[in-house]
Amino acid sequence: MIAFLVKRFGQALVVMFVISLISFSIQDNLGDPLRELLGQSVSEAERQVLRDEMGLNDPFLEQYWRFLKKAVRGDLGNSYFFKRPALEVIMEKFPATMELVLGATLIILFLSIPIGVYCAINPRSWFTKVMMGMSIIGISIPVFLTAIMLIYLFSIALGWLPSFGRGETTMIGFWETGMLTWDGLVHLILPSVALSSIMLPLFIRLIRSEMMEVLEQDYIRFAWAKGLSRKRIWFLHALKNTLLPVITVGGVQIGTMIAYTILTETVFQWPGMGFLFLEAVNRVDTPLIIAYLIVVGVIFVITNTVVDLIYGLVNPTVRLAGGHS
Amino acid sequence: MKKILTAAACVLLGLSITMAAGAKTLRLAYDADPVSLDPHEQLSGGMLQFSHMVFDPLVRWDKKMGFEPRLAESWKRLDPHTMRFNLRKGVKFQSGNPFSAADVLWTFERLKQSADFKGLFAPFKEMKKVDDYTIDLVTNDPYPLVLHMATYIFPMDSKFYAGNDAKGNPKAMLKKHADTYASTHASGTGPYTVAKRQQGVRVDFQRFGGYWDKKSPGNVDTIVLTPIKEAPTRVAALLSGDVDFISPVPPADLPRISRDPNVNLVSMGGTRIITLQLNQERRAELKDPRVRQAIVYAINNEGIVKKIMKDFATASAQQSPVGFVGHVANLKPRYDLKKAKQLMKDAGYEKGFSVTMMAPNNRYVNDAKIAEAVASMLSRINIKVGLKTMPKAQYWPKFDERAADIMMIGWHSDTEDSANFTEFLTMCPNTETGYGQYNSGNYCNKEIDALILASQGETDEAKRSATLQKVEQMLHDQAAFVPLHWQNLAWAARKGVNIEPVVNVMNFPYLGDLVMD
Amino acid sequence: MTRYWHLFKDSALLYSFGRDKVAMASFSVLLLLVLLSFSSPLIAPFDPYDPAGIDIMDSDIPPSWQEEGDPRFTLGTDAQGRDMLSTMLYGTRISITIGFFAVLLQSVLGILLGLAAGYYGGRIDAFLMRLADIQLSFSTLMVAIVVLAVFQASFGTELYNDLAIFMLILVIGIAEWPQYARTVRASVLAEKKKEYVDAVRVIGLGSRRIMLRHILPNTLSPILVISTVQVANAIMSEAALSFLGLGMPVNKPSLGSLINSGFEYILSGSWWITAFPAAILIILVLVINLLGDWLRDVLNPKLYKD
Repeated sequence: MIAFLVKRFGQALVVMFVISLISFSIQDNLGDPLRELLGQSVSEAERQVLRDEMGLNDPFLEQYWRFLKKAVRGDLGNSYFFKRPALEVIMEKFPATMELVLGATLIILFLSIPIGVYCAINPRSWFTKVMMGMSIIGISIPVFLTAIMLIYLFSIALGWLPSFGRGETTMIGFWETGMLTWDGLVHLILPSVALSSIMLPLFIRLIRSEMMEVLEQDYIRFAWAKGLSRKRIWFLHALKNTLLPVITVGGVQIGTMIAYTILTETVFQWPGMGFLFLEAVNRVDTPLIIAYLIVVGVIFVITNTVVDLIYGLVNPTVRLAGGHS
Repeated sequence: MKKILTAAACVLLGLSITMAAGAKTLRLAYDADPVSLDPHEQLSGGMLQFSHMVFDPLVRWDKKMGFEPRLAESWKRLDPHTMRFNLRKGVKFQSGNPFSAADVLWTFERLKQSADFKGLFAPFKEMKKVDDYTIDLVTNDPYPLVLHMATYIFPMDSKFYAGNDAKGNPKAMLKKHADTYASTHASGTGPYTVAKRQQGVRVDFQRFGGYWDKKSPGNVDTIVLTPIKEAPTRVAALLSGDVDFISPVPPADLPRISRDPNVNLVSMGGTRIITLQLNQERRAELKDPRVRQAIVYAINNEGIVKKIMKDFATASAQQSPVGFVGHVANLKPRYDLKKAKQLMKDAGYEKGFSVTMMAPNNRYVNDAKIAEAVASMLSRINIKVGLKTMPKAQYWPKFDERAADIMMIGWHSDTEDSANFTEFLTMCPNTETGYGQYNSGNYCNKEIDALILASQGETDEAKRSATLQKVEQMLHDQAAFVPLHWQNLAWAARKGVNIEPVVNVMNFPYLGDLVMD
Repeated sequence: MTRYWHLFKDSALLYSFGRDKVAMASFSVLLLLVLLSFSSPLIAPFDPYDPAGIDIMDSDIPPSWQEEGDPRFTLGTDAQGRDMLSTMLYGTRISITIGFFAVLLQSVLGILLGLAAGYYGGRIDAFLMRLADIQLSFSTLMVAIVVLAVFQASFGTELYNDLAIFMLILVIGIAEWPQYARTVRASVLAEKKKEYVDAVRVIGLGSRRIMLRHILPNTLSPILVISTVQVANAIMSEAALSFLGLGMPVNKPSLGSLINSGFEYILSGSWWITAFPAAILIILVLVINLLGDWLRDVLNPKLYKD
């Protein structure tokens, strides 16, 4: 267990190092950050002075070494645009993205499990057929199109739901939440639905096929033979074993979901990390770009580790330290 | 749990309704929020819009391009070098400190330190305090644009910015990439104070109770500014009633917005010129004025305005827009394909040639689309264009390298005066003086340089106007550059928000005077 | 050759295809889209890549059945004055090309690495599967966004525009190889235990020959099923990347970049610039997914899970 965690931590460090090196080496090519900081009629000489001050004229290795020295102390540099530590800026936007992911996850959980289970138990019902048909259509519609259609329908045509942003938010310690006010919750609906739109059909199909497979297994047949009640068999024995592979897939999909937040946040102008990242790319705000990539890398590593741990707990046949045998 | 939530939501909803009945809140969406609270940190449209909310200038532009007294009650030219300003009495800063000449002097000195503003204030020798409410502004040479520059002087609260902040840095420190006190705290004399700011997400402004201008009709108590970068989302927010006022309005959505009965659209001709520069140093062909003229004749800029800009721009044949002293009324767009072909033939390039062209794709309204349209228009006179468009962050370094034969540049005159266009765009490039800094075409005409330099010290309005008009005419005749259009400005607000009286061609809405029903 | 044809004709695959209306319909729609788009230089009324043929005065014309329509442009024109029908035909061709080659790349990579991992086992296996784990834990879209943003920046946009199609194929292709590698490895492990492998090894055949000629054919059905779904995924990824401005440039648009360029006009009433390409994209991905579903049901392969 400890060995496993140490190994994962080591991997994470290597990944972070590679990310930082790559993003650092390309910063010259991203463009000139000064143009975003200065007005149009500032002379070239003035610009050089500022560039020197910011250390942008130093050789690459010197800049990178300076970055590494600070990075080990948890300082990823100051964002050019926000003028504050990049990590601090990212962490401020972290709650927004997480609440969006949470909203989408809740939608997925509360819809996919009942629908998936129903479809597995009643494979011939008309509802199952409709659901299966809809899910394959759902998989085939890109997230950004879903998002545009949702805005068009619910914000513009019907005027029921707000079209952008987070609405009213409250601070709980460092965590800025939109989930405590009505306004904030209403703002969360459309982006969460859009974000869940790609995963929901996937999970419905996954749960259905896993459940159908489990229902074919011998121990379920024995359970029937023993005369256990339907509910007990379906929801206790079968569902438990269905959810095992679903957890693994789900862990990987959280990563995918964070990638899709970039799309969703862009369309809904949701002030989260993904939106910030694309803005930072446009503004050539290199410290912010690096910080985002590192934070996302950490999230990926953590979710995967947690998933592996859970999997190990539920299914003791998997040995953690050795990986796959 | 659900019940509690619903109940809580009802209470909150009720609260917000009762609050709304008493106080008037304007929900405002721009494409970006102010990058800083320090008015001297950056010279940009966004920062000036902010400055007009929290600070007050000495004088400000009125709708007819005249000057309106603000913190300066009156002014008078003492001699060709000196202008005297009488300051308003009884004005208080938002911190409670009284406003006096010392603050203006302090602000002026700080402006001269600012990387963005020092260039504009270079003609000024000094500012002298006569008494607590009188100052003299002295220039090195006779200077015609003293009042133009006075619109940039937004007096800051010198006592508020005195001393050191928690980190031990001076509160007045002006630094671009540091977390300075002034970039996060502000005290001006303006109609609004910054109540809350979350950079990149929203800024809350509160009406300043002690605002000096009691005659201002403005009745908005709170302004919530939300940046919405994506144009369609911004429009959607207005149409769905999530915000009350948006700017800029994308040209594509103008017809839809003007059709909507619940929304008011105000637009006016802008002053930002979009041009193409033809690099004669890279290409011998472009040295020939006939080839340059052929290119101008081949580009249907009225078509671009009509189709790409949706009539949301004014096709141009010169740099200076209407209202500027250098504007020549009879210069008209010159699209004529036949004549263009003839000129190419005369110049000996009937078979054409290939050129490279670069344009930004996120700087000006529809910049990349305009560039593509130009490329396809030039193919009709057998000029094959290899076009590259790129984000502005990558474009500007390329522009500095003069990396293509044809480059796009838009320009807004910071002085709201004709000479500024020529100084930056068409004078002979000179790294020492900084003239021609944005002249990627390397067009160079000593006669024009001399005329512009002469205009800088000319305080006789009529003579100056004649000189600058002559410059425009010469640039036009020689096809020194390809004029495309002036971008229009547009603002849209829901009915009941009377934006028409407060918006202007400079695009600084005077929100302090905004009236909401 | 004829022997294979007979095998195919009598196969369960074809039999089930003939009985499944959804599969037949999907296949015909897909075939139609592929044929039309790949013959676009012949059948498209205009050439959207030729700047001289585009007139800005023709921009933003609604479909011809609408009041302001123009009979020359059946489905209207976009903001550049390009004929929507022609641009979409060319765009579909780009989308399909990217989808197909990206999957070709990932399958070749994945199959080779999966075979190697499964057959040789030991350290090679451990290393490759660890690499696959790490790669899978970063989602494809994320990797693609970052890599493309980096490349766009370091090539400069000009070179990038020329190379965009290859870059997209490379990025989408490389990011997804573990899907194949894991499945192939699992099948190899299962096959390796069987007697016939021992038998051919006794005859003295080399390991490469054993893998390619004997083991690989037995893994074909899961590969076929994965490939179908992956083509659909690749087309979607490409559309998403183009929507973010990281995919195909405006002058050589794919379906995704067409949707993106129409997005700013969607509220202004020019719905056709977004709606038509969006519809084609959805139909294209849908029919491929339906075919994949059907293949999965028929072949019922053991896919790698976990």
